[in-house]
Amino acid sequence: MSDDAQQPDTRRLPTLDPAPDASAEGAGGPPDEAATDTAGGGRAGRFWSARRVPAAVVALVLLAAAGLLLYDVVAVRAHHPAMAWRRWLARELATRHLDTPWVLAAAALALVLGIWLIVLAVTPGLRRVLPMRPTAPDLRAGLDRAAAALVLRDRAMEVAGVQSVRMKVSRRKAKAHAVSHFRGLDEVRADLGVALGEGLRQLGLAHRLGLTVHVRRPKKR
Amino acid sequence: MRRISTTVNRVLLGVVGVVLLGTGGLVLLGGLNLPAKEHLDLPAHWPWSRPGDVLLSAQQRTRWTGQGWWWPSVIAALAVLVLLMLWWLLSQLRRHRLHEILVDSGDGEGATLRGRALEGVLAAETEALDGVDRAGVLLTGRRREPRVRARLALAPHADPGTVVRRLSDEAVAHARRSAGLDRLPGDVRLRAVKHRPERVS
Repeated sequence: MSDDAQQPDTRRLPTLDPAPDASAEGAGGPPDEAATDTAGGGRAGRFWSARRVPAAVVALVLLAAAGLLLYDVVAVRAHHPAMAWRRWLARELATRHLDTPWVLAAAALALVLGIWLIVLAVTPGLRRVLPMRPTAPDLRAGLDRAAAALVLRDRAMEVAGVQSVRMKVSRRKAKAHAVSHFRGLDEVRADLGVALGEGLRQLGLAHRLGLTVHVRRPKKR
Repeated sequence: MRRISTTVNRVLLGVVGVVLLGTGGLVLLGGLNLPAKEHLDLPAHWPWSRPGDVLLSAQQRTRWTGQGWWWPSVIAALAVLVLLMLWWLLSQLRRHRLHEILVDSGDGEGATLRGRALEGVLAAETEALDGVDRAGVLLTGRRREPRVRARLALAPHADPGTVVRRLSDEAVAHARRSAGLDRLPGDVRLRAVKHRPERVS
């Protein structure tokens, strides 16, 4: 691998073999980069959201609470009277029993919030992005579900006899609701199945979507 | 860099979640009197075990207030928490972006390439591809190991698989070669431009 630098055109395949990188001197650290990449779901895996918005909200709330408490603690140390909310809070905490509705409601809220935050922390998120098959070695691609639906709709509109079509793409299934104004419904359905099957193949998704096709006649006026 | 911030976000969210879940669960357990109803044997110092308990009694609250070390440590802990939360909040607002790339010219003299220049070239070449309507390209990563983050808007009748393959073979490969990089990994997200259905029949 010592002549690696002279051949910038040789592309490294996305294998999980860090040995050649580690032995090359100037590599600097691609192995750990690759390791963190695979930790985030692998090449063809889901896209992982950075969870910026929940993190910002939680940070802001904790910052405000801790900052206020810090200000008041320091103020009391400097012989200022404590703020009213702190005295009120200390009194409530010391007198309310655990079975009062307020305490139970707050505890239930904390429980639900906690579960929600844990779910946010461990799930990938970005459910509207469908991961694509790794065709290019170093490029990880994802297709928005809305984009997949538009591409499939354009495909379906090319089928003869289709007047209009509504595509719905979920994370596992693509559903077509077509309205056909001529040709037999069965023929149109078969043609749509073929065209959309070809369309699904060309989307190049990592997990192929299931396909259901509904065809009906336009409503009589 | 981006990976790290994702991990930090998720770990901190998880920690806050576990604390909330634990506190809420313990208080509910005691408040609904479950230990007595279910005949659970709890350890002696279990907090909030009976419905008659309070969340924080005056005696617990003032247990250490007489000691000299208590208030300084409370203030120090709160200050550390405030600084940590400030850093966390600011790191959400900041977008990591590569300003320059180190180009190894091979004769021992390094050169730097402005990140924006490479981003512009990549975006222009990507937009010239068949089936791409608009492209936004951002360089992240480190100066010697840049990464590409691209967002493409697909034109009507585009073929997503081909677009990704050509992006890799043409725009990204050209950028990789011209910057003298061994590899230029990246993430691409494809969206679509809304358009009206065209009738064929």
